[in-house]
Amino acid sequence: MILERLETYFSAATYAQCGEHETALSIMNTKSSENNRSKGGLRMKQEPVKHQSNKYIVPAIGFGAISISLYVALLMNESKVTELFTNGGWYAILPVGSAFLFSFIHGAFASNLLSALGIEAKK
Amino acid sequence: MTRKLRILILIAALSLSFTHAVFAAGGDGPPKDMLKGVFTEIHADSNTAVFQKDGTKEIVTLTMPQGMSASDVTMNKKVLVSLDKHAGEGMIKDISVMFLDMTLTKAITLLIVGLIGGLLSGFIGSGGAFVLTPAMMSLGVPGAVAVASNMCHKFPKAMVGAYKRYKYGQADIKLGVVMSVTAIIGVQIGIKIQKFILNSFGNAGSNLYVSFVFMVVLVLVGGFVLYDAYKLSKGKNEAKVSNLALRLQQIKLAPMMHFKVANVTISAWVTIPVGLLTGMLAATIAVGGFIGVPGMIYIVGASAVVASATELIIAFFMGAWGSIQWGLSGLIDIRLTLLILFGSLIGVQLGALGTTYVKDYMIKLVMASTMLIVAVSRGALVPGYLANLDLIKPISPNVEHFLGQVSFWALVAALGSAAIIITVAMVSGMRQANRETATQLAAQVTAHD
Repeated sequence: MILERLETYFSAATYAQCGEHETALSIMNTKSSENNRSKGGLRMKQEPVKHQSNKYIVPAIGFGAISISLYVALLMNESKVTELFTNGGWYAILPVGSAFLFSFIHGAFASNLLSALGIEAKK
Repeated sequence: MTRKLRILILIAALSLSFTHAVFAAGGDGPPKDMLKGVFTEIHADSNTAVFQKDGTKEIVTLTMPQGMSASDVTMNKKVLVSLDKHAGEGMIKDISVMFLDMTLTKAITLLIVGLIGGLLSGFIGSGGAFVLTPAMMSLGVPGAVAVASNMCHKFPKAMVGAYKRYKYGQADIKLGVVMSVTAIIGVQIGIKIQKFILNSFGNAGSNLYVSFVFMVVLVLVGGFVLYDAYKLSKGKNEAKVSNLALRLQQIKLAPMMHFKVANVTISAWVTIPVGLLTGMLAATIAVGGFIGVPGMIYIVGASAVVASATELIIAFFMGAWGSIQWGLSGLIDIRLTLLILFGSLIGVQLGALGTTYVKDYMIKLVMASTMLIVAVSRGALVPGYLANLDLIKPISPNVEHFLGQVSFWALVAALGSAAIIITVAMVSGMRQANRETATQLAAQVTAHD
């Protein structure tokens, strides 16, 4: 395989030295696309997509962990929380603020989770 | 007038109506003949109970009605007490425990309903509320707490959905703000009408009015949207701006407004009635989007994608206003709110990205089918209300129970069928997009050869 590629490069270099740059380039392109196909060229083309999915996994896990901890904290202290949050008046900030906080953290988790699963909007 | 000045005036008007709505006496907020607090003592001999009000810690003595015994009064737990004003001062009508015991089954139910409600909301701009409140009530949550907790989950969900759809270039912020200002004013008008009907015809009359408006609007508008969606799907045409909208756009009555994303220039006098009606309907049937989205499509002239995305901005403002009102009265059960949010924040994003894979008529189809099935749900309750008003012969309890079941399951069917249509449309859209990408890739490789 390596010898084949070396041969291609040498042929291309020979043509290039003779001033036939276009022929040199076409040899390189044809050979490299053939190589790609024989080694699963399409898979190589999809590699960037795979990387993109990977980059969402870490934030998805991170935001997911924070979100789950907040849910556990809420449900473990449910009687105290419900008591405090339903006092009315200025205490209204607590439920409304919590809904905002959860929407940012859990929303970011959901967004990264969907992207990590490869479910994304049509470009 | 410069563009910046106009936007400033819009924001100022929104803040004003917002502040007015929050501090307005009455409103569609918490009922006034309701007390929140804890029973501390019961005097069975005099049929009275000592009640400590929440917040102010004021102590009052309430009277138990005939048929209510000491065992019906829940002690040392936060309760909601409805008062029977007609029977006299401090007369108890009904007691309900504020916080239900959260079991795993109840939590899972809330997660699933939240997920599907979010999916629908992200896709058609509204939905979920009409089934979430009855679903919570059937789990044992008092009505006022169910409405409050649902309202508090609505605005963060709408915010996330609106943000996503803005990123896809679908949401028109200016149209959303203009509609919100007028819708908040519309809510006030809607409440005034509701109160007038309640005072004139009582609770049964009010229920009948709500169901009647629900059915008329849903059947007429839903039927029209379904017909339009059917025509578009048959003709394989791209959606066109309606003739009515085109004619209204010709009216050059100042102030004219240009909505960039919706790509519409129209007189403010056309958008005002649409916003007002959205608010009035929101105050009557709690789902303003059922008139807001078709209004933006057929009267203003926006596409279904833009209209449903813009509706999320309106839902955010209306939901935030409602949540502050309910929060001030301390009726939000944050556990319910956050459990619904868990599913709905995933659902709303999935629904939002789903719109990028489907044609315009698919959004109309989902909206129309949901509206028509919800109309069946409300229609099932009408005979009961008519009997309460003595307009027809009384119906047997068995029939009433059956109609109640039909009503609830129709709501579940509305949600379920919408979820199925959205999922199938989205998956086939994604597959088609993948096929197109693969074909393009194959063409590129062939070109290299």
